[in-house]
Amino acid sequence: MTRTIHLSLDINGGRYDLDVEPRVTLLDALREHLALTGTKKGCDQGQCGACTCHVDGKRVLSCLTLAAQVEGRQVTTIEGIAAENGELHPVQAAFVEHDAFQCGYCTPGQIMSAVACIREGHAGSDEEIREYMSGNLCRCGAYNNIVAAVREAAEMA
Amino acid sequence: MTIMEPRKHGDASDGMVGGRQTRFEGNLKVTGGATYALEYPIEGVAHAVLLQSTIPAGRVTSVDTSKAKAAPGVLLILTPDDDLGLMTASDWYGNRPENQPYHPLPREVSFNGQSIVAVIAESREQALEAAKLICVTYAQTPAVASIDDPKAGEGKVMGNLTIGWGDAEAALAAAPIRIEGEYSTPREYHVAMEPHGLTVKWDGDQLTVWEPSQWSHGMARSYSEWFGIPYENVRLISPFIGGGFGSKGAALAYSAVAAFAAKKLGRPVKLAVTRPQNFTSYGGRAATRQKIKLGATEDGVLQAIVHRGASETSTYMDYPEQTGAATPILYKVENFSSQHRVVPVNTVTPGALRGPGKNPSAFGIESAMEELAYKLGMDPLELRLKNYADHDYQSGKPWSTRRLREALTEGAAAFGWSKRSHEPRSMRDGNQLVGWGIGCGTFPVIQAPSEAMIRILGNGRVEVVSGAIDMGQGTYTILAQTVAEVFGIPVDQVEVHLGDSRLPGSAIAGGSMLAGSILGAVHKAATAARDELIGLALSDEKSPLRDTGANTLTFSGGRIAVPRDQGPSLSLPELMAALGRDEIETRRNTLPDGATPQEHHQAWTTMAKVQGPTMGEFSMHSWCAHFAEVRVDEDFGTVRVSRIVSAFDCGRLYNPRLVESQWRGGIIMGIGQALLEEGLVDQRNGRTVNNNMGDYLVPTNADVSDIQVISVGIPDYGASALGGKGVGEVGIVGVAPAIANAVFHATGKRVRDLPITLEKLI
Amino acid sequence: MRDFSYLRASSADEARQAALQAGSALLAGGTTLLDLAKCGVMEPETVVDITHLSGLGGIEVDANGARIGALAKMGEVADNVGIRAAFPAVSESLSLAASAQLRNMATIGGNLLQRTRCSYFREPAVFPACHKRNPGSGCSAMGGITRNHAVLGTSDTCIASYPGDLAVALVAFDAVVELGGRTVSVDDFFLLPGNTPERETVLERGEMITAITVPSSAAATNSTYLKVRDRQSYEFAAASAAVGLEFEADGRTVRDIRVALGGVATKPWRVRGVEQALIGKMLSLETVETASRLAMEGAVSHGANRYKIELAPRVVARAILKVGGLA
Repeated sequence: MTRTIHLSLDINGGRYDLDVEPRVTLLDALREHLALTGTKKGCDQGQCGACTCHVDGKRVLSCLTLAAQVEGRQVTTIEGIAAENGELHPVQAAFVEHDAFQCGYCTPGQIMSAVACIREGHAGSDEEIREYMSGNLCRCGAYNNIVAAVREAAEMA
Repeated sequence: MTIMEPRKHGDASDGMVGGRQTRFEGNLKVTGGATYALEYPIEGVAHAVLLQSTIPAGRVTSVDTSKAKAAPGVLLILTPDDDLGLMTASDWYGNRPENQPYHPLPREVSFNGQSIVAVIAESREQALEAAKLICVTYAQTPAVASIDDPKAGEGKVMGNLTIGWGDAEAALAAAPIRIEGEYSTPREYHVAMEPHGLTVKWDGDQLTVWEPSQWSHGMARSYSEWFGIPYENVRLISPFIGGGFGSKGAALAYSAVAAFAAKKLGRPVKLAVTRPQNFTSYGGRAATRQKIKLGATEDGVLQAIVHRGASETSTYMDYPEQTGAATPILYKVENFSSQHRVVPVNTVTPGALRGPGKNPSAFGIESAMEELAYKLGMDPLELRLKNYADHDYQSGKPWSTRRLREALTEGAAAFGWSKRSHEPRSMRDGNQLVGWGIGCGTFPVIQAPSEAMIRILGNGRVEVVSGAIDMGQGTYTILAQTVAEVFGIPVDQVEVHLGDSRLPGSAIAGGSMLAGSILGAVHKAATAARDELIGLALSDEKSPLRDTGANTLTFSGGRIAVPRDQGPSLSLPELMAALGRDEIETRRNTLPDGATPQEHHQAWTTMAKVQGPTMGEFSMHSWCAHFAEVRVDEDFGTVRVSRIVSAFDCGRLYNPRLVESQWRGGIIMGIGQALLEEGLVDQRNGRTVNNNMGDYLVPTNADVSDIQVISVGIPDYGASALGGKGVGEVGIVGVAPAIANAVFHATGKRVRDLPITLEKLI
Repeated sequence: MRDFSYLRASSADEARQAALQAGSALLAGGTTLLDLAKCGVMEPETVVDITHLSGLGGIEVDANGARIGALAKMGEVADNVGIRAAFPAVSESLSLAASAQLRNMATIGGNLLQRTRCSYFREPAVFPACHKRNPGSGCSAMGGITRNHAVLGTSDTCIASYPGDLAVALVAFDAVVELGGRTVSVDDFFLLPGNTPERETVLERGEMITAITVPSSAAATNSTYLKVRDRQSYEFAAASAAVGLEFEADGRTVRDIRVALGGVATKPWRVRGVEQALIGKMLSLETVETASRLAMEGAVSHGANRYKIELAPRVVARAILKVGGLA
């Protein structure tokens, strides 16, 4: 028999209750149980960055995080960073302006990573941005534009 | 679905064709609101996972599912013992064998990593755990692991790819300067960020499929044929697709398995192909080998090209990765001979991956040209210009447009090529050797008939409706721009509906053929809708424009008015209200007039009506020239691409902002191809062992420095209705040889086998 | 991933008690455990979550050295000002590892315990033979694709390389692992595969890494971590070197030098031979190149990894020249 546990998660400032098996990752909890599908599954192995979200303000990979682990912590996903009136977060706006994506599948992870990268103080130069955004693969090859978007958002921040 | 209003930057002309409008669906993608195939909330969905073969060849003799069946949550297990009752579907061209059963979970294993069992359970976790409890027994047979396997042999000549003119062997023998080289490329993979998978749901004999697709109509056809249901009963939905690069144009074996499971269980099924399984559920670019011999005069005039190529294919299908595709058309040469073989090995059938054929072909010829340049002691730029092809020597036809000369000269100017020092190893920066290289690229202009619908609504909004796909190239945006221009309205007054097989048919989002094809249909339909509106406005007794005496109307700045007249002007909603119309709908296609319904169906669901680059009076292609700078650490052999300038002739650009992004994307994939990407096949069992994104390396952000892209194209109205040529494929073609040539210039070492990893340089 | 039960430990003692049970595994950053659970390599029955324990994090740096709590995150340590000043190689080894996200998750204790990236180890369904996973079953890597496999410290049973970066820097500077009741030097903490490749460290069941201490030294302060790889970022090392150097008062003669290698050996690889060859010598291009070749003493290649024998000494040499002010 599989066991389920009850979890109460704090996601984007709201409380979400769910019953899941302990082995369910945060990524699967978001996508399959909570209809928060903005966080993407690219590899499910910690190798691509598409599933990046924030736990207690730090960027992490939700595919290698158990949902059970984040009970009592604050989770932020791509659905939770725009203003309440719908105005885009400056990083989101910069991504649109600089065409920092094509297919859009890596984009939520890139943006969550970029928001943290700026907050960490790792967006001081193009070279630093490239290195600190390298945990987010983009197969469409939007890297130049991602750097431009992060640079602009960092300058505004 | 309705797309959110786009953000608007720059001036109003950005919304016109050729303007730099930001991505139409951009807000959805940056907010997580764009819904991809596995993200639809579907009540009662069951989860399917695949179990793949662990041997390269043989027969499944038994599948012990007893433990798995007892595992929690398991609903269904499908094995080669189950007859799914499916029939083989048509190939790309619509050819279909009669009465041939289809076994997507086959008993005969043809490659390592072939799906042979599916487990369906209440949750994905349960299905995965149960799959591990299944014990498959095989009777193994001898296998050929790869093209490098001594058992692989020479393969078979593809007759249709044997090309020649003049007397290449004799001219080569007579040429005072000769070079020859053997070039190879490994298996390469698409690695789209969104893994493959689908959700399927049956309602009686109506099938709905949510699946990432480069071709909604063509894939819907496969489902209807597998299950023997009318085409109209299948609806394939794919408004967003997380990258394809050639991998998402066909419904695949796992698709059939998921659809069957859903039917059998009587509930929706979601099947997610794991990242490792993506490496063998469909084919990447085949490994290639090619020998090239060039003969030239002492002053560098090409006398002959002799080319012999080969590519891996599977044991059950011949798929050629055409190593001779670019060879015949890049340069002026009077004597030419090319042949291509396919070598069957135990692999999944390879497939199209960005720049199919042209890409490895360009690696060969563009490496060889620089080898010739160094042998002659000539600047590689000068050699290319000296042998510039004034027409297509293969077809004998004139080019429609060919601005490769401008690409070479303007690219060279932007790069600073004139400052180059010719000798290898003559440029240095500390520990780093610096090198410069050129690679030219090309991709044919191909077109397919397409259809589009325009709806002018009473509220003044205009809808454009098509089954075409946007996988990031910008279909949403350029369709909106085209309609905005025809009606003289802002882009945010346009709605775009895409990615649904129930919508009007379209060319595949592949082969760089979609934009040129679909815009022809959209422009035609929009113009027809506007003409209908003009007719009504000038004739309807309720119209304020009726008695103006005009015989046409202008559409500009959101107003409709009589040309050169101070009279009344109306907005679109005002005119629709005056006419008392809720909607004006037109549908147009680019098939010949009088095409039958069968021809319509064939046009949208097969490749049978695709027009090649030389089927008319011209030879039509996109062109590019890449200039690469590399820095090679002399001690470590590591290569970094520090700078690339690429100049493109892709005709007219419908949206330069988005085109530049696609070009950069192609170049970046080319950097990966040149330096990183290689499927590593274990010769003992044919397994691709680096079947994940940590071991199959694609470029990271840190691998990409400055890339400058330049457009040198002019509108080519022979190539498409609105003057554009293909954009997406050509960007990668020529990048790898440009880098390999730069590495030679830096180090004096000629690497002829990709990727150029560090051990090849130390 | 196999079904497991989840236990959130409320104290270190509770965690140790739980870890005594067969089939239990401690969960810290999760970046190794969950990855390998998905691969089917690790199949815990109980996962003991220690990420909420207090008192096991923290980074203290003083004149004697640094003490890093086992639950401190890689990223935290990399960015710590004190670590950066006193142990640049430690900081660099961390910031060159994995990605920013993984560094925010993975802990220092967990980082030491990361498992090999051997492709054959990671795919049990296709390659059942693996002495490390299943003692006595064989080795699938030998005769296979070995480009990333070890050339040093290998045995007849296993050629899997240790993939980490941090431990390489730690072993260079004589760091010590605290295991609650006892302490072990990092060098002794890791075991050679020998005939028991399944046993990678001296950690006993029920034991837990609680902290790592690194003694201060002039060499550690003047140190660097050089990592060479195909991809510019987010990749394991083809070869790497942690090097620290202290000169005599003349500023040219080597008083103390530390050299360790990564990406080429079955465990973090201190190369004392190189150190001995240089102590007391004047640093020059020639002395460094000659000494660096000693780093490969005993190296054995298995096909495609042969390049590492050529590459690693060059990495060592460059790193020494860098800290010596000659490159």
